[in-house]
Order: sequence, then structure tokens, then C-alpha cells
Amino acid sequence: MIKLKLKVNGNIHELEIEPHAILADVLKKELGLIGVRVSCGEGECGACTILMDGKPVLACMMLAMQAEGKELLTIEGLGTYENLHPIQEAFVEEHGFQCGFCTPGIILSTKKLLETKPDSTPSEIAMSLSGHICRCGAYPKIIKSVQKAAKKLEDNHGKK
Amino acid sequence: MAKNNSKIPLSVVGKSLPIKDAREKVTGSLKYAIDHKVPDMAYGKILRSPHAHARIKGIDCTRAEALPGVFGVVTYKDAPDLIWEAHWHNYRGHILDDRARFVGDEVAAVAAVDEDIAKQAVKLIEVDYEILPDVFDPEDALKPDAPQVIAEGNAREPFIVSWGDVDEGIKASDIVAEGSMNFESQHYAPIGRNACIAEWSGDRVTMWSSSQTPSECRDGIAMGLGVPLSKVRVISMPSGCSQGMWWSNNFQLVTVLLAKKVRRPVKIELDQRECFATVKRRHLERSRGRIGCSKDGSLVSIEVDHIFDNGGYGFKDDPGYLCADMWGKSLNGRFAVQGVSTNLVTAGCMRGVGDVTLGAFLERLLDMAAIKLEMDPLEFRLKNHIRAGDPLQQLYNTELAEDYQIPPECKDKWPQLFHLSCEALHECLTKGAELFGWKEKWKGWGKPLAVEGQKRRAVGVGTGTHCCGTEEDGGTSAIVRVHSDGSVSLSCSMGRHGQGSETTQAQIVAEALGISPDQIDVEAGDTEVCPWSHGSVASNTAYRAGFTTKSASMDARYQILEIAARHYIKGEPEQLDIKDGIIFHKEHPEQNMPLAEFMSTHQPDTLAPPVIIGRPTERMPPTITLARQFAAHFAEVEVDTETGQIKLLNYLATQDSGTMLNPKVLENQVSGGAIIGSGFALVEGMVFDEKTGEVLNPNFLDYKVLRAPDFPTQFETLFCESYDPVGPYGAKGAGESPIAASIPAIAQAVYNAIGTWLDVPMTPERVLRGLGKI
Repeated sequence: MIKLKLKVNGNIHELEIEPHAILADVLKKELGLIGVRVSCGEGECGACTILMDGKPVLACMMLAMQAEGKELLTIEGLGTYENLHPIQEAFVEEHGFQCGFCTPGIILSTKKLLETKPDSTPSEIAMSLSGHICRCGAYPKIIKSVQKAAKKLEDNHGKK
Repeated sequence: MAKNNSKIPLSVVGKSLPIKDAREKVTGSLKYAIDHKVPDMAYGKILRSPHAHARIKGIDCTRAEALPGVFGVVTYKDAPDLIWEAHWHNYRGHILDDRARFVGDEVAAVAAVDEDIAKQAVKLIEVDYEILPDVFDPEDALKPDAPQVIAEGNAREPFIVSWGDVDEGIKASDIVAEGSMNFESQHYAPIGRNACIAEWSGDRVTMWSSSQTPSECRDGIAMGLGVPLSKVRVISMPSGCSQGMWWSNNFQLVTVLLAKKVRRPVKIELDQRECFATVKRRHLERSRGRIGCSKDGSLVSIEVDHIFDNGGYGFKDDPGYLCADMWGKSLNGRFAVQGVSTNLVTAGCMRGVGDVTLGAFLERLLDMAAIKLEMDPLEFRLKNHIRAGDPLQQLYNTELAEDYQIPPECKDKWPQLFHLSCEALHECLTKGAELFGWKEKWKGWGKPLAVEGQKRRAVGVGTGTHCCGTEEDGGTSAIVRVHSDGSVSLSCSMGRHGQGSETTQAQIVAEALGISPDQIDVEAGDTEVCPWSHGSVASNTAYRAGFTTKSASMDARYQILEIAARHYIKGEPEQLDIKDGIIFHKEHPEQNMPLAEFMSTHQPDTLAPPVIIGRPTERMPPTITLARQFAAHFAEVEVDTETGQIKLLNYLATQDSGTMLNPKVLENQVSGGAIIGSGFALVEGMVFDEKTGEVLNPNFLDYKVLRAPDFPTQFETLFCESYDPVGPYGAKGAGESPIAASIPAIAQAVYNAIGTWLDVPMTPERVLRGLGKI
């Protein structure tokens, strides 16, 4: 077992883990962050996507040790049930999902996309989400949700 | 039949309300079964067969049981000698017996303090197998000398629908076309895994698992373990995208058996490989047949022979091919369908079962006939598809239809049974064609719209249908309870696989009771409070569950109005109404009482607040005899004749699901169907090892599905509403016809691009073979 200090959603956690522990497992099982969804476990489906220092990474493809000293953001740190982030609001309003399993990962990738290119076209949105599988086939509404989120973020920005 | 004959303006039905668990989904707080834990839980792992077909001569668990941390092991010796069969025949067998019927079949299971120890212990079980001859090809499995996979024999009785005389029909036809089509096995490719947690308390068992069919799970446990239904509680949790995969599956019963033996709660979580290779898949299917038409394009005769494999434990004889009804105007018809067991992983219902495959083949036959007639495929379909009031051939010609007596009190209420209740497919085709620009884009059979170098573009149109639930094995039910503050609980065992049924059902309750949908909570998974229902299968939910939900709501409503008229508001119950949570007299609205006050006021006669529990009091007609959902899809494709790749450029999905309960919920159902259907058309197919039948692509790397950039971003949906006389507020089923319309539209477009018909999926390899390039 080794000691590991993780910074997740602004909180510091001191953990003792096996050196080979996978980041997704530690976040889910040790810290109870079930929003880190694990489906394929081999980097194909994108469900376990989190942001590490603001960039999307696949938590199932990383050792927990690799996250030491980094700022991690999981879906739990984005908005709360009562106080959703504008991207989450947009997905709720536009029905950007059915089963919801891929949703946390897609929302976090969207955050990065809209920071990088807020005026993304539908094709650019589709391409930027190509690492995520939505097996329900809600892609048309996911793209609409991302567009609506961009609008919401722009409006919010304007208010400031 | 009149369309949109809804007289009452609707206030909640028809609104695109966000789905009820949307906030849980976007915050990642929704719990699937894999996230569920109970105190003192052990972890289980299943030992799976490395052989396609074997008899267990001996099994020694002593080393596994001796491993520190192990609580116990179950083998077939611990399993009751009882067969359990899922309602829709997707599994029939013991929980465990002394035979393995496919690579990956369950042989034993271990419970231990953690999953790692359970995995180690599984490896310590020593099994002495007697290898038996195996069979993987469905046609080989039908041969008289084939190894028999199950005790009942490989071949199920052929299921035959027949009217007229097909041979005479063919003779009388002006043109005749013949063809065949093969389908690989599509997989659900589930995002999100599944788990099962079972806990015994005395002689009662509780099971948590992600499932669309809580009641079917409960019935299966009672049957497989030989316990009364009253001793079984199933709490069905939300699942990741299921599409028919997570109903009742044998791994759940293995968990229940293991928990019984070790007398503590046990959780078994399936890994990705187990999800792909050991549970269930769409059948491997093969169709052949012929079609005859008169010169004017009228259908005269259709004959189809279709076989599908059930894998190791499937037991279906009739996949439900409503497409026979769709083209039932043909003067003569014969559809013979046969299920057959093989030593492949179990096959069963997947979204649109039967209509995705056999329906696509029928459309191919139609196209082959239209080619000979030099007729536009759109015109051909418009001329021949079923219309409201036409007989539903699948049942119309059976003894069932002859013997069936409509109860006298229902004679005026029910539509004509064994005939189609309503249909807007015609409108879907005509309006869709206009929106898509069919006239401009259709250049004739085998003629591309454009050729640029090695790339050829062309268009196609196809249709799909499916039922709106069936009566098989029981009557769907629901309970509506009104609480002291006027809020309402609906209990209806539909499961929660994400399509939004809790929301649409709540909209029905809100509409019927005159209250806000926010005041309604829906329990869809707990069999302790939900009455029996089919679950979310066979497009039951909107239509049949919706009917009972509405009926139970109306019953609750009447109970309220009856008491209100007796004590608080002068008048007859029929003169009262409820709107926005207020009970009032329709002619004297100043006489009113808020529902919350009504529910918390002590009645003068009982000296207690009222007890309002609504149950379905209205009899539901057999819906399989009247209602169908319809889809018509238009696709524009580009085929690269050098690489063999097919790209979707444009896609329009039109849909008739009756009244739209919630447009955005429906749009997701339709896009989902179109995308999964297109995935099957183009890339999705399971690969089995030729020698062992083992699944060789049990993961998302090797089993390809369509991703966001693979589907046109300019995808459009168009809804044409018919009004069903039985469905709630005129609504019908939605999820399964869209997946059936994809293959026909895409296959026809590909034919028009390259002049050849392909099997499914239409992979680059098949395209290049079709072009004679490899």
C-alpha cells in the first residue's frame, strides 16, 4: 500500500492505496464518486471521463498515482442537484440523454470544448464527442444541448 | 378513422417536460445496480465454461472452499431440479445443471469477502468435462443428425401465418421476384454494466438489479427456486442503455442461489466481457422468399421462410413479425418462421425483434418487385401498406379471431378487433418525401444521385412497424395513491432504462387527475408496491401501461369526486371536475375545494380523512389485435467504391406513434432507433469463433457502434399523429418501429448507389465483394 494525496472537486483526500489501483476505481470506491461511470474499462467508451487540470482524461486508463498533485474535477464538482451548472441545465432542458450513463463524461468534455471553442458547429461538436459512446443514440439532442449550453454560458458571461 | 379526434384540450400531455430523473443523470448521482451496496455484502464471481458443449462429469470445489475469505460455492448440485422460463422465452433452463451449452455458460459461482478472492477461488474449482459434439450454424442445427443442445430438441415448431394460396397467387402474378438475406447477430453493446445483489431474510429474498422487467424477474425467481411469489421482492434499478438486454437473466438467479447458500447478501457484477459474451444477443437470422405482383403494382402473393437461432437457452418460436400485417393487403401470404437452438451464447429479444430482420427482408422483396415493375419505391409502398380498418393478417386468419367474443358491454367502446385501429404511415411517407426532397433525389432504380470519382451518392426509403404491447402472460396494472397533501404516487412496474416512461406516465396521471406533474412520484421498480406488468418490453409502456395508469387515475378521480359531491360540493360527481389541484363544480366554479384540503379533512361520515387508492377498473381490449406503430425513414448515402465505406449524408425519420405524450421523449426514441438501426445496417455484428462459437469481439474496440460523427448532424424527425381509440389520449408505442426502418432505407440507397443487394451489416468488405473487387 502507498500513500496518496488527491485533490478532487476542491477537496483534499489522503488515501492508502495499492500502487496498481486504477484512478476510476479509487474515485468510485474509495471516495464514493459514482458519477465516474465505468463501462468498458479500457478507454473505448468515454463514460469515465473526468477533467484533470481542466483537460478531459479517461479515469479507467490511469493509475491513481498519476493524479497526485493534479486538480481533478468529476461531475460531482460541477454543479449540485439544486444548483446545476449551465451545461447541466442545458442537457436537462434539451433531453441530451436517455439512460444517462454516458452523460457525466459528455458534460465534462463539453465543458472543455466550450472553453476552447464556444462557437463550435454541430459537426465540430460531434467530432469532439467522438470519444464518447451514447448507446441510446441521443446524439442529435446531445448536440442541441451543447449548443444551448454555449448560449447559456455566453449569456452568463455577458451579465458579468 | 378520424384523426386527432381528441375533444378535450390537453394541458400536460403533449408537453416536452424534462424527464423526472434528469437532474440525477446530469449530476451523476443516479444509482444503477452496479452502484448499489447493502451492509455485510459478499462478492460473487461466476465460473464459466471454456467448452461449447460439455457434460460435467465431476466438480471438485474443496480447494476453492478452503481459500481464506471464501464463504461458499454453488454448483448444479445446489440448484433445484426446476426449469425456469422467462415470459418472452429468452431463457428456458435450470439455474445450473450438469451441462454447458456455450463458451461462457455458467458452471459454478463463489462468494467471498471481496471480488479478488472470489476471482481466485473460481480458478481453484476443478471441473471434469466430457466434451460433447457442438453445432453453431442454425441450418446445421436443424439437420436430423445434429447434436441436440437442449432436452426439448433444437427445432421449435415452425410458426406459420397463412392466408389465401401463395402458389396460386404466384401463378396469377404478372411479375415474380425471389431473394434471400442473411443477418449477423447484433449485440445490445450495453453502455454500463449490470450487477445483481440478493439477500435472504428467513425464507424471503430481495433482489436488486438493473432491469426493464421487475415482474418478470420476480416470476423467474419464484419459478427457478420453487418459492411463492409472496416471498420474492425485486427492486429493479435504473440500467444503462438496455434495448431488451436487461430483463430477467440467469446470472441474477445464480446470485439468488448463491446468497441462499451462504446466507448473506451477495453481489455479482458482470464485467464488460461477460456483458457482451454470456447474457443475450439478437438472433442470427436468415430469410428467403418470393413475391408476386400484378402489373399495376398491387401485391398478389408473398411467401417467406425465416429461421433464427436461439443460442443455448433461448426458446422462442415466434419473434413477433408485425411486418406481415404491414403488407397484409397482399391477396395471398405465407410466413413460416422457425427458432433453432445452437451452442452459441443465448439469443433473445432485442429492440424491434423480428421486424428489424424479417421486416427488412420483406422490404427487400418489395424493392425487387418494384424494380421489375419500374416503379418508384415510395409509390409502391404508398399503394400497398396497411391502412386503418384493414385486417391484421397475423391474427385475422387464426382460430383466435374466429372464437373471440367481444364482451357485450364493450361493443360500442372497443374498435373493431383484428383490424388496424389507426395509422398515419401514409402521411409519414408523403410528408416525409416532401421534406426530404424525394422527387428531386430519386433518379430511378440502380441510378445514383451523383457520381464523383470513386464515390456514389443515392437515396432510399424504408418503413418499419411493431406492436404496441401484447397480452402475453398477463394483464398490465397500476396503482394510484393520493396523499394527504394532494400529491400522488403511481406504482407501475416498468423498470427504468432511460426512455422517460416515468415522465410520460406522470403526464398521464396529471392530465387525468387535474394536478401538476411535479406533485407525482412514480415507483417503477419495486414489486412490493407495484402490481404485475410486462415491464418495458414489446413497446408496452406508453400504450398498455399508459392505459392502466389512466384508468387507475380516473378511478382515483371518481372516488374523489364522489366523496366531494357527497359532503362538500353540492351536485353529482359527474358535475364536478379537478383542475390545477382544485375540485370544483363545472357550472358553479365558486363552489370548490383544494385537493390538499379535501385529502386532509375528516369526512363527516367516517371521521377520518378519505383513503383514495385508484386501480384500473376499465377493461383493456387485446391490444395486439388493433394497434401498431409505424416509421418511415429516408436516407441519403455515399458509397466509396474503392474503400467500400458507406457514409450517411442525410437522414429523415418520420413516425406515427399516435398522440405525442412528450415530443422530446419521442424524438430521442426515434433518433435512438434510427442510429442503432443504422449501426446494424452498417457495422454491427458479433463474430463467433468457427471452432468454439466463442464471441471474439466482446468489447467496444472490436464491436463497432456508430458514434456522434458517424450519423448526420442534420438528422431530422417528423411526427404525423394518428389517434388511437384505446391508447392513453390517443398515444401508441414508439421505440421499436424506428429501428426497423433503418436497414430498408439504407440498403435500398446502397442498391441505388452500386446496383447490388448486400447482407447485414453492410461492411466495407461486403460492399467490395458485392462490387466484385475482392
